[in-house]
This record gives sequence, C-alpha cells and structure tokens, in this order.
Amino acid sequence: MLATALINTAALWKIIVASLVGGVGVVVAFGFLLLGLSKANQAKGRPGAQAGYYLVSGVCGVFCVAAVAVGIYAMAKKPATPAPKPAAKTAAVRSSA
Amino acid sequence: MAAMSAADVILVLVVVTAISFDFTNGFHDTANAVATAIATGALKPRVAVMMSAVLNLVGAFISIKVAATIAKGIVDANVLSGTTGLSLVFAALIGAVAWNLITWYFTIPSSSSHALIGGIIGATIVASGTGAVKFRPLVETVLAPAIMSPVICAVVALLGTFCAYRLVRLLGDREAIRGYRAGQIGSAALVSLAHGTNDAQKTMGVISLALIANGDISSTHFAVPLWVKLACAVAIASGTAIGGWRIINTMGNRLTTVESPQGFSAESASASVILASSYFGYPLSTTHVVSGGVIGSGLGKRLASVHWGVAGQMATAWVFTIPAAGVMGAFAYGVSDIFGKGSVAGSLIIGLIAAGAAFTLFRLAQRNKISAADLDRSHVTPEDEARRGAAALARTPAGAAA
Repeated sequence: MLATALINTAALWKIIVASLVGGVGVVVAFGFLLLGLSKANQAKGRPGAQAGYYLVSGVCGVFCVAAVAVGIYAMAKKPATPAPKPAAKTAAVRSSA
Repeated sequence: MAAMSAADVILVLVVVTAISFDFTNGFHDTANAVATAIATGALKPRVAVMMSAVLNLVGAFISIKVAATIAKGIVDANVLSGTTGLSLVFAALIGAVAWNLITWYFTIPSSSSHALIGGIIGATIVASGTGAVKFRPLVETVLAPAIMSPVICAVVALLGTFCAYRLVRLLGDREAIRGYRAGQIGSAALVSLAHGTNDAQKTMGVISLALIANGDISSTHFAVPLWVKLACAVAIASGTAIGGWRIINTMGNRLTTVESPQGFSAESASASVILASSYFGYPLSTTHVVSGGVIGSGLGKRLASVHWGVAGQMATAWVFTIPAAGVMGAFAYGVSDIFGKGSVAGSLIIGLIAAGAAFTLFRLAQRNKISAADLDRSHVTPEDEARRGAAALARTPAGAAA
C-alpha cells in the first residue's frame, strides 16, 4: 500500500520490462551469436547448415546492435531528469495508486 | 575592471568546488563502468579507464535536453536563491566531496548523486529548518529508486547470468570466455557513455543553478553555457582517467568473483536499467544499479558466491550517504554562517578546511595504495579462466563464500 502510494508503478513496470528485454535479451542474443559462429565453424563442408548458423548469428548480432542503438537513443532523448514537478508527480501517483 | 562582489567570489568557489565534485564523481564511479571488464581481464586497467574517460566525455554532450536540476523539488527553491543560496550550494558541494573522498578512502562504492542530495538537504536544514525540505519528493524520487534499482538490476543480471551459463555449456568454456570478454568491451563502453550523460549533467545543473542564483543566466530562457558543459565533461573524464583503483577493486574483485559471462550480464543489465530509468524519468544512482548487477551476476552463477560481508558494508554506506553528507553539508554551512550569512570569509575558510582534509586523505591513501598493476588480469588466458571456473565450481559453497 505504502509502496504503491510512493512509487509511480506505471513507469516502474516499463522500466522492468525494458530492463529485462535489454539486459537478459542481449545476453541471450549474444550467447546465440557466439554459438552460431562456433557451430558454423564446425559445420564446414555442410554449406546449408553453415548458412543456417550464420543466419542465427546475424539475427542475434542485429538484435544486439539494435539494443545498443536504442540505448543511445534513450540517452539522447531522455526527459529532463530528475525533477518531476511535485504537483505533476502527485497527480501521477494518484492516478496510479 | 569592476571589483568582484562577494556573490561573485562565492560563485567562483561554487564553480571550482562543483568541478572538483565532478572530478571525484569520475574516479569514484569509474568502477561502475569498467570494474568487471578489468576483473575478467577483458581489458587492461589503463586501457579500460581511458576508454571509459573518452566515453564519459562524449556522454556528457549526448543529451541535448537539460537534465540539470538535481535537488530541485526536494528543497524549497527559495532557499537556493541569492548569495545565501550560493553559500548553501557551496556547503552542499563540500559535504558531497567530503563523503565521496571518505568512501573512496575506505574503498566503498557509494552514490555521488546521493552525496550531493545529502549535502543540499543538510545545508538547507541549517539555513532554513526542516520545513524547507520536501520529504515526499525525496522518498519518491531518491529513496524509493535507490532501494528498487539495485534489486531490479540484480534480478535482471541473475537471469542473464543463468541464461549465459546455459549457453556456455553448449559453447565450451574457452570459446565462451573469449566471446564474452569481447562483449564486455561493448557493454562497459555503453555504461561509460550512460554515466557521462547522467552524472556530468548533474554537475552542469549545480553550476547552472548557481549562475541563475547570481543572476548571470536567466531562469526563464535557461540554457547551460558551453563553458559549463566543457568544464564538467573534462572534469568527469579526467577523474575517470586517473582510475579509482580502490573502488574498482571492491566492485570487480571483492564483491564476487566475476567471470566474463557474469561481467557481460552485469554490465548489460546495468546499462538497460540505467537507460530505461532515465528514459522513463526515474532518476537513480549508477553505483547502486551496477552493484546490484554485480551481485545478481554472482547469484546467477552460484547462489553462494557473493561476499555478503562486503555487500553489507556497501549497503551500510548507502544508507549513511545522505545523512552523512547531510551532516557535513550542515557543518560546512553552519561554520561559514558564523562569519555572516553569505559571507566570503566563511566560504573561504570552509573551502580551505575541506582542501586540507582532502589532501590529508590522499596522503593517507598512499599508505595502502591500490594500483593499476595490482588489478591487471589481462594475462589470464581464457584457458586459465575456464580452469579457475571449474575449480571454483568444485569447491563447496561455504568455501566459495569465504
């Protein structure tokens, strides 16, 4: 009760989801990128399989690069922090409570 | 040439102290960006801090919008105006720098932003009483994010590390370690950039606040002057470049034993939480987030591998940061006030006491110095790291936690 009164829960959920997609997503994507490259290396002589592994790596690489680009975009476009006007903040808290 | 007024002299003191604060912020927080990359040997210590310094410099210029307004909304805006307001900001900065240097001496990562907020609150209470502090916004915008952000980052890093090690099994240790080390360079770079954007702008905000209080820039057509941006960017980058080896050691080596998949997970989680929070307007401390990330990465690999004693020390320092910086800010303001409200003599004396104390701490720190060479793990090959990891897994959880 106290927590929901003091925390802008709508923003909090957005932060949690974005952090999970960025934090866990990039780690998993990067892992599959490495795995794809490794398997592609082992699949020499099997062009089809090799192309498939490279495709997995490529897609994961694009995801990682896109995540970095979104991060830099977020830095450049971030709202004026930190001072939410007390009145506006109170309204936001009320609507989310 | 017109003689400088008392307010101009205090303004100069504020600007110099704000830039010094930014410098301490740089070396205090270098650890946030590069500690895990150094700990795993992904980067040589000097290379890591130089990369971080350059990216902090760039980061300071990235955001075109003005972050700027630290502590606005937390204390009554009226107390920050005029010459008295300038002395208050000065005392607050002295409190923040003092706490940053004390925690640096004791090798504890703590939040520079919280130190600054604490300093402002302490000085405000002495200047205008507790009525001038707005406690609800303080809880909403400072304390609640400080509790939640490390927890969120720890959970994200834990899940990331867990997934990373599932993939490491498929990849083989040697290949995985080599790959994740490369990835760590990118993730450390992103955290450095985010740190420059977030923290350099806080100091820009303090200097702008002082310039507004002194009537040098308009509060209605507010824009941070270029020289302020440049000074802050260079100060934070220089602070980063000298390398806060003491805190890097705590963050990278003492909190948990970090391997490259963990380091990559911790940094990715930290960058995501920091950027998402600042984008959605939730101010938070980079230090809190990264510490949460490192702990999460320790838990994600093996539940017992976090050194909870060190984590406990850090958490204690976090709890005390606002009150302790507050007490020092209050003391600084109280002493300068003895010489008259907004007096130059009072501010000069406090400035001299602080400079003397800072010098003494630096000298004391030389006795148990931690250098870049002590932290260099770049000679550890992926094969060595894989063997070390296997040996650590073979140990009992109690042994790992010792």
